[in-house]
Amino acid sequence: MLYIHEASCISPQQTFSTIDLEHVTDPVDNKLHVAEPAYGGIPKNMLRRMGKAVRIGVGASLPLLDKISSLNGFIIGTANGGMEESILFLKQIIAYDEGVLTPGSFVQSTANATAAQLSLLTGNRGYNITHVHRGLAFENAVIDAAMMVNENKGTSYLLGGIDDISNYNYKLDYMDGWYKEEEIDGQSFYSTNSAGSIAGEGAAIFLVNDHAQNALAKVKAIKTLHSADPDLIKRAFEGFIKEQQVDLSSCIFLSGENGDSRLLPFYTSCEEILGTDITIARFKHLCGEYPTASAFALWLSCQLLNRLQMPEHMIKKHGSAKQPSSILIYNNHKNAQHSFMLIES
Amino acid sequence: MSRIFVTGVGIISAIGNSLNENHASLLNGKCGISYVNNFPSKYASELPFGAIQTGNDALKDKLGISNPSVTRTTLLAIHAANDAVEDAALTKDELTSADTAFIGATTVGGMCLTDELYRDANENYKESPYLSSYDCASVFLYLQEYYHLNGIIDTINTACSSSANAIMYGARLIKNGLAKRAIVGGADSLSKFTINGFNALHILSDEVCTPFDEGRKGLNLGEGAAFLVLEKEEDVAGKKIYAEVTGYHNTSDAFHPSSLSDNGEGPFLSMQGALRSAQLQPNDIDFINAHGTGTENNDEAESRAMIRIFNTPPPFASTKSNTGHTLGAAGAIESVYSILSIVNQEIYPGLHFTKPIQATGLEPVVVAKQIPVNHVMSNSFGFGGNCTSLIFSKA
Amino acid sequence: METVELKQQLKQQIIEFLNLTSLTPEDIKDDAPFFGADGLELDSIDSLELIVLLQRVYGISIKDPKEGRKVLVDVNTMADYIEKHRTK
Repeated sequence: MLYIHEASCISPQQTFSTIDLEHVTDPVDNKLHVAEPAYGGIPKNMLRRMGKAVRIGVGASLPLLDKISSLNGFIIGTANGGMEESILFLKQIIAYDEGVLTPGSFVQSTANATAAQLSLLTGNRGYNITHVHRGLAFENAVIDAAMMVNENKGTSYLLGGIDDISNYNYKLDYMDGWYKEEEIDGQSFYSTNSAGSIAGEGAAIFLVNDHAQNALAKVKAIKTLHSADPDLIKRAFEGFIKEQQVDLSSCIFLSGENGDSRLLPFYTSCEEILGTDITIARFKHLCGEYPTASAFALWLSCQLLNRLQMPEHMIKKHGSAKQPSSILIYNNHKNAQHSFMLIES
Repeated sequence: MSRIFVTGVGIISAIGNSLNENHASLLNGKCGISYVNNFPSKYASELPFGAIQTGNDALKDKLGISNPSVTRTTLLAIHAANDAVEDAALTKDELTSADTAFIGATTVGGMCLTDELYRDANENYKESPYLSSYDCASVFLYLQEYYHLNGIIDTINTACSSSANAIMYGARLIKNGLAKRAIVGGADSLSKFTINGFNALHILSDEVCTPFDEGRKGLNLGEGAAFLVLEKEEDVAGKKIYAEVTGYHNTSDAFHPSSLSDNGEGPFLSMQGALRSAQLQPNDIDFINAHGTGTENNDEAESRAMIRIFNTPPPFASTKSNTGHTLGAAGAIESVYSILSIVNQEIYPGLHFTKPIQATGLEPVVVAKQIPVNHVMSNSFGFGGNCTSLIFSKA
Repeated sequence: METVELKQQLKQQIIEFLNLTSLTPEDIKDDAPFFGADGLELDSIDSLELIVLLQRVYGISIKDPKEGRKVLVDVNTMADYIEKHRTK
């Protein structure tokens, strides 16, 4: 069992130093950019080389690093980490016709740069890995972390999901039809009947171990799937709920619904089997769509199971539970990659 | 926790398109590193590479793939994975079962389409077939569809140790009961992107690489793919068994974004941890397939770390002198070579070695020979300090 | 170009090339070591970037890393080398 003891998040909303989700930042040009803090804890000589994904990943980790005396490694999920630097280096290749090139952006272009910089910053020689499986990059990091604490009792890890919007990955995904053609304001996000979503980014970092006492939350179960068939996902979701014996009357369904009409049938067919007691809530209007958005959902779950009163703007349907004891997250990335996570207090 | 066995392997590299071809090349000391003519980089004629001679069209024909968005990295991955699956005689039901995991590694991924990515990232070319082909995950998302996989699927990128970590992750999934079997490995293809990147770091040799040689000038990039089928003890009765995965350890060198610490602290810890996890003593290791890239930094740091662990290291060599450095595929390719050593009770030489590094004095194996091989260690170290060592043992 | 002027220009180029955004040319002393704790604390990747700076801006090609180590000590040594070897 994976227990979360600390959670930190840099997102487009006020989630970092003070948490305020009542006042929502709306997208600009269909993009929700993170509000970057000042990075006092990152040495200037490291900061100057970091691309945005590395910066927000390391930045979100800093508060947790202060709170732990012994850490056994870093387990990071990121789909696009390093994309911005990759294109910067690519531009040099073209501009100088493969001539004399500066290597800085090449070194930072590898997806493992965040985990690498974290180990450099802390001098930590523990486990160090980067999962990059696009919409299931973070989920594989969660599975990895759960195995690590099972195999090595008493160890703790920083687990993170990090992705940024660069001009380039926005453009590639836009041309591929994953972002909306028409401009969307925050209010109408879920009611647009068109293809595509809005772009988002963020870094959510968790301190995890196998220690139940004083934990913020536990990841009770996680399942990942690849499919383009809503019925298959619905049946798998039903099976997951049965297998985990989820008490739907004290549960929140946190849906990854993202305003894309093509993905909506997956979410609504999962809602159909949840009964009338459950609260249904949504989060992508806060963080936008990005491959590791499920890490934002997990951070949000940690808040909702502890101190945060659910903001009204998140609620799609009110349920009967006054105080939720579990949260069921379903996320669908690009109609192909799906995950269920069951989070309990 | 269950013991994990290798029941199938598949490989394609600059020294052969099959396991048998690779084995023959290792025995004969064949070097697959040369100048490539048909590659779209100005360095193609200036620097030697470990290129696979089979082109994309021939690979597509052979594999029956016509989809234009499929990249060379993916083609190499399918070529090797097909062989591994067939070698392990996995049935269609086993392959598509929810308890079959597929863990792939790559660092180049779809970025072998360097020029296409530049165009698509800067121009409006909506008809481009490659829009979802550039990331690392695209390779294994395609394989998921190709094989109709339903278990845990993952893509790992820890630079040059990526596929060693994929093997480790797959073994752990089985041990933790999250999969019954796992297909694990990696693939990378030559790209203008990595060639220019390594060149900008001044670590590409303009001659054939000479791992562990005093006069080494750097590495040669290569390409390839390799996959292993891992199954647990309870399920392998009556099956062909190549070797057992007995040890693995992943650690960070925590020293520099692109160089190893002088004393090889990360390599030392990964080798030490792998021995601990295999419950073996240093003198149990019969052969080390070293990371041995041929750079000034790696070979000396790795040598120092080997001396710290083993005092007098066992026979060792780097097969990157045969294949070039295949980045995300290297850990898997070299695991296959380690397994060949165990199966055939023989060790394979490092090529082009003449004079030991003055500071460490270590000499790699320079001729193939028959010796008793019970345990082989395979090292993989990557940018960002990612170090992983694996141990394969005679089953 | 006067040496003083060259050094001032070089400092600005170093800041831009290495993205030393927290520094101004005035913060970099002529004899402040590029590498090591009591100077700019640059590393081996920076030295490769500075070699590219010499190539692109001054048309100086350094192939041998050992030569690079002699040139890339501080602003004084780098400016001195530029004055002797520049081709543009």
